[in-house]
Amino acid sequence: MTAVVWFILLALVVVLVRVSGYQSKWKVRQQLLDGACAVVLRSVQLAFAVHHSFQAWVQNSLTQAGLDMQELLQGDDTEAVLAKRQQLSDLLASLPQRPEHLAVILPEVKVRENEAIGNMLAGEVDDVEVLCAWGLLAKISHMSIYTRDDSLSRSFDSIAGRLRNSKMVARAFDGRTPNICLEAKAQVEHICAHSDSSQPDIHICLWSRDHGYPSIAKLAQELAREVQSGALSPTAITEACVANRLQDLRGCKHPELVLLLDDLPCMSEFPPWQLQNSELVQIGSGERSLGDAVFRALVRFAKIEMRWGK
Amino acid sequence: MSVYVHSWYTWAALFVTLTAYIVVAGLLKPISFLPFHTPCNKVLANVSQTTRLVLVRILRQGHIPAHISFIMDGNRRYARTQHLKATSGHISGFHNLTRVLDWCNALGITHVSVFAFAINNFTRSADEVEALMDLATNKLRELATKSELVKKHNVRICVVGNRSMLSEEVQRAAEFAEEETKNNTGLRLNICFPYSATDEISFAVQKVAEDVASGEVRVEDVDERVVADRLRIKSPDPDILVRTSGQVRFSNYMLWQSAKHTHIQFIDVFWPNFSFFHMFCILVSWQLARSQISYRKA
Repeated sequence: MTAVVWFILLALVVVLVRVSGYQSKWKVRQQLLDGACAVVLRSVQLAFAVHHSFQAWVQNSLTQAGLDMQELLQGDDTEAVLAKRQQLSDLLASLPQRPEHLAVILPEVKVRENEAIGNMLAGEVDDVEVLCAWGLLAKISHMSIYTRDDSLSRSFDSIAGRLRNSKMVARAFDGRTPNICLEAKAQVEHICAHSDSSQPDIHICLWSRDHGYPSIAKLAQELAREVQSGALSPTAITEACVANRLQDLRGCKHPELVLLLDDLPCMSEFPPWQLQNSELVQIGSGERSLGDAVFRALVRFAKIEMRWGK
Repeated sequence: MSVYVHSWYTWAALFVTLTAYIVVAGLLKPISFLPFHTPCNKVLANVSQTTRLVLVRILRQGHIPAHISFIMDGNRRYARTQHLKATSGHISGFHNLTRVLDWCNALGITHVSVFAFAINNFTRSADEVEALMDLATNKLRELATKSELVKKHNVRICVVGNRSMLSEEVQRAAEFAEEETKNNTGLRLNICFPYSATDEISFAVQKVAEDVASGEVRVEDVDERVVADRLRIKSPDPDILVRTSGQVRFSNYMLWQSAKHTHIQFIDVFWPNFSFFHMFCILVSWQLARSQISYRKA
């Protein structure tokens, strides 16, 4: 009986081999080798993934032991907290270089909901509040906050309302009420404007994909119309001409520091023209809070050497 | 005596000693006091090549990027660490470029872009700029005519940038390299020289205006795709952008293409020291991130 079963199995194998076509020994060896390499690759990828997770865990553990930046702005105004806040403010003021314009890339809604980086962030309105507070604390005059899906612009009124009444923002500004200019693509609002000061203490722009590629395409269309009508010669379309036309109406410089809050090192279609000379700092989900991420980015930026091609 | 010969500890110790000797003797510079230096060097080279072949095979079981872009930074600092002139650093950088192209070709990557010279590099000292231009002239011709990569692997060379800023001699060398390799169907090598992304975008905008004026494109149809088609670099958007030397900025390189969904890797090693191990780690990281990138593109 056993012999019959073995014979049937062997016959089946022979039939299968015949049906699938004859393969040379060399091809079979190649396939076996490819299979072994595929297994090794999967193991290596698993090792990398475990290593990244371990690094994030270590990072998180280290920040647990360190100073809680967020509590300095969210906690009650006890003497100890005030002293630490002043210490932090002095530390930031002593950094050898600070950006005048900081851009922050926040993950879009679908990424927040589905990926680990969402654990580090609160809601969008909360994030803008924290970033504004940190901008004031670090005396950054211009801050652009970018989301690819333009979700911040849709929450413009909520953000303006939050900033108007924010204790965190006031604490970051030595207990005073700052003059904040909040701007989205089609809206501008001056929050807590003082009558005696026309210059805002901080200018916050809410950017989206529309500030980048579509703007350049629109500019190309406008210039093409001008050339077509004879008002402009094609040779007059130089880099300086494009730069002037794309420039922010308030004459703001391009961001010197771009903080990418994401585990994935991709720019999420951030406006390309504005990235020319920006330093990029990526902070992933290993960081405990947004405040810690901003602080870490500012410290890293302070150590950077700008060489401008030389 | 026979006890020691039969003991596996002895054999293991002998093996480890021999391996250590081969590695130490093989890694030393050409003039070495250790005997059998040259054979040791050959053995190491063969082991290294075999390891690389195996690792390439392993990587090819997963997805391979179509386009990888390099900012070859750190040549001068490398030269300083070796107590050499800056030009020597650039020459070492060129040699490493040919090795990297070899790896890319073996992996099946079809487009490679390298940032060879930025427009604002003209602000460097006149001696260095002249040395770089001479190097470019010689190496472009060498790549196009004598290089194994071009002959064996059918590499096509494209020199991308604002060539009006180059001297006639360098322009001729660039045109020669492109002409010699224009019919090649293998890996496409984009040498960005002299290049800046803002210059490229302005060029594309100007080209759009010219094409609208000539009737080739209707002004209502001008959109991102129309602008993108007129960029100088005729390759798909890079899947990976690598910058060596630890600097964490784009330095005005491939901004239109890289600000989308390119996987950006800043590596803290000078370009001449960029090795296959670094390349392996970068590609595995990209393979791991690929599904996330695809999800976000959707």
